[in-house]
Amino acid sequence: MPLFGKKGKATTDPTRLFYASDIHGSQPTFRKFLNAAKFYDVDSLVFGGDLMGKLLIPLVRDARGTWRARLQGQNHHLTSPEQLAEFTKNLETLGFYWQEMDPEEYGQYEGNQEKIDGLFDVLARQRLAEWVELAEERLAGTQVTCYLCGGNDDTDEVLKALEDVPQDRVVNCENRVVPLDDEHVMATVGYSTPTPWDTPRERTDEEIAVVIEDLVRDVEDPSRCVFNFHVPPLDSTLDTCLKLDASDWPPTPVIENGQPVYYGAGAQAVTDALERYQPTVGLHGHIHESRGATRFGRTPAFNPGSEYGEGVLRGLIVAVRGGEVVGHQFTSG
Amino acid sequence: MAEAAAPQVFTRRASGLVRVMSPYSAFIYNILTMGVIFPWTYIWAPAAFQGSNLTLGILFAFLFELPIALAYAWLATALPRSGGDYVFQSRVFGGGFGFTVVFAFFVVWILQWVALSGWLLAALGIAPTFLGLGATTGSQFFTDIGTWAASANGIIIISVANALIALVLLVTGFRNYVRFQYVMWYAILISFAVVLVLFLTTDPGSAQGKLDVFAGKVDGVSNFYATARAAALDAGVSFNPPFWLWGTLLVAPIAWTSLQWATYSVEQGGEIKNAHVFRNQLFIIVGSLAATAGMLILLSLAMQKGIGEEGILVASSGYYLGNGSALIGGGYMFPNLIAMGLTASPLIVAIIGVGFILNSFQIVCNCYIGTTRIMVAQGLDGLLPEWFSRVHPKWKTPVNAHLAYFLGALPVIWGFNKVGEWTRWTLGVTFANGAVMVLSALAAALLPYRAAKVYEASPGARYKLGNLPMVTVFGILGFVLGGFMVVSFFFVPELGLAYSSDALPWYIVAGTAAVGLIVYWIMRTTKAQKGIKVEYAFAEIPPE
Repeated sequence: MPLFGKKGKATTDPTRLFYASDIHGSQPTFRKFLNAAKFYDVDSLVFGGDLMGKLLIPLVRDARGTWRARLQGQNHHLTSPEQLAEFTKNLETLGFYWQEMDPEEYGQYEGNQEKIDGLFDVLARQRLAEWVELAEERLAGTQVTCYLCGGNDDTDEVLKALEDVPQDRVVNCENRVVPLDDEHVMATVGYSTPTPWDTPRERTDEEIAVVIEDLVRDVEDPSRCVFNFHVPPLDSTLDTCLKLDASDWPPTPVIENGQPVYYGAGAQAVTDALERYQPTVGLHGHIHESRGATRFGRTPAFNPGSEYGEGVLRGLIVAVRGGEVVGHQFTSG
Repeated sequence: MAEAAAPQVFTRRASGLVRVMSPYSAFIYNILTMGVIFPWTYIWAPAAFQGSNLTLGILFAFLFELPIALAYAWLATALPRSGGDYVFQSRVFGGGFGFTVVFAFFVVWILQWVALSGWLLAALGIAPTFLGLGATTGSQFFTDIGTWAASANGIIIISVANALIALVLLVTGFRNYVRFQYVMWYAILISFAVVLVLFLTTDPGSAQGKLDVFAGKVDGVSNFYATARAAALDAGVSFNPPFWLWGTLLVAPIAWTSLQWATYSVEQGGEIKNAHVFRNQLFIIVGSLAATAGMLILLSLAMQKGIGEEGILVASSGYYLGNGSALIGGGYMFPNLIAMGLTASPLIVAIIGVGFILNSFQIVCNCYIGTTRIMVAQGLDGLLPEWFSRVHPKWKTPVNAHLAYFLGALPVIWGFNKVGEWTRWTLGVTFANGAVMVLSALAAALLPYRAAKVYEASPGARYKLGNLPMVTVFGILGFVLGGFMVVSFFFVPELGLAYSSDALPWYIVAGTAAVGLIVYWIMRTTKAQKGIKVEYAFAEIPPE
């Protein structure tokens, strides 16, 4: 794999990155992500974390050879393989996993969260491995590199899939500094600060600061480094979401004086790093509803948001040259 | 035989997305935006289309708007994002078209509504309230305030204060507005109910006497009603016209200037809780439309009971035919002013007045809320400078967009109240706003074909009429029926642009569209020089 690629490209041309995050298992959204390279004519695809889906739909076979399932509050009775195929296609658009099982098998899972989590990991790892293979297939013969990493919602077990298959165009950039072009590198951190959802890869602000310091220590010129940090900077407008009460499951909005309370759910460690190192750009995700742009000194920081559930790929094209962002464009495809 | 229970969904611990504005809040927002309390229909239509049936005209407007509202429900669930109309149209028609139409015909033209809401606050809220209080208490101080509020300088000062207070309320946190909206909602409902009761508990004969007394106290005139009626007759009012079906149909576009705003909540679709749920959008958009249409019809029937067709025509002649004898305290005889004339109680006057003042204030708030969301969406898409899309880190609101809109409104407020020709120049406002909604209905019709993946993933995709998507059916119906109303603004002199003797208002409409196109071209060119194509903001990537 050409780590310092872009052969034949004039040195004055900016390097164009396409960034997206939080696609949570959605098949069409990931396929769009791969096609974004050609569609937007970019040099690299950068993913910002949260690859795994959140729901698993059991398709329970009965004695008559039909299937029962529940989706979005509605019961579904699928009586033919064609109906099953259409249903599962819809599930994959929504980013959900599915598993056919008989009633006895379903009974073993029901109420057994450990067993359910195990099944999630198996299916998510399988899907991620398929995605890596698909990326290699789609990007074969191009100079485009696809950088993948996990987010707070992804388990370490599932992220092993990033190393499961031989890779040429795909780079596992998780917790690494990788070259982007002749003059820029990218540092990636997939952790988030603690959330009300108690997700698999949460770290305290202090722990995230240590991870960032360890990574950036080896970067020769931080001003020519892209920070691909899943969690946005604290109180930056890229991290605004509803405050939730974690004592309920699922967490419920905190209401004060009859109104929901908003707060910044980002990381102070990221704010500090952006202010201190003044990198080329900060790319962030995690808070789906907080699409926007802001600035830390000379450094612009972005969160393109996410609408994976509608099959929409929200993203950002960033053109970088000489350690500066020379142009950017939010996308919604 | 009962079916076996379906298996439950398996979940794991993963983060989720929650939105803020409840569907009920959005429902209220739409009703308040439609401005039930000061619809133009009652003072515009009766004299403009003599022989029309006001109640039936409002019903037609409801029926014409219904497919548009349904089409919007599909759009709002398929694309539940802030910036609504801009998002829909840019997605379906492309960025250049979507930006130009929504920027020119909404963002620019709604500046006129900021000025108008200030005028409503002054002329329909503060002036009649204080004139009414002056008349019922005998206080000259109240009367002087009312008279000042109706003067040009008074209206300008009140309008600027109105826009400034709304700016401060909205930029310091959207939650402040949502909280205050409930105060406005209940005050307006009470005010509206009081107006209804006053009309329903009187009859035309006694109403005329009460209006004589009221106008006598306010303006020092005698025999107000008889004088106003005679002047209306001279101005061309026929007090016993035969029923006119075509005229009744043409009442619909006027009533539509209120009812068309049933869809306005889509501009903040990204902030509405469960905005992608079909029944929520039906409740918010179609529900608010039905509720408001019902209220307007009720008010129409109550006015007929209280002051009769004749009284409605006299009131309307003051606005449409310029009958100066049919003004009270210099103000048009809107339903609230008439209702104040029907009571001798300062408390009732105050209750009505507070409702009108708050609804006027709400109008300027929704001007900001809708247009700033559009500007933020356009800023994020790179079609306006990024400055517009910036959100304040503490208040979490788009402060810059609000500030820009306030500054943009100042010259419009001045022109609206100081430039005699302003109203004629801006006759295109009804056309421009209506055109956005009709084009969004067309966008809905084309959604399954122009943004297939978005449509297929939406909850409305399962509803079909034969092989035709229901959204296409409603979109086409809405486009045709809404198109009738928009075209009537173009060609019917009583309704808008054709009222002018020259083409200047048409050029102004075309000029705003040209401004939109120029802004688009500048932003597109600037971005292209940096290696970025703004078209990428709207293009749907094929997954395969």
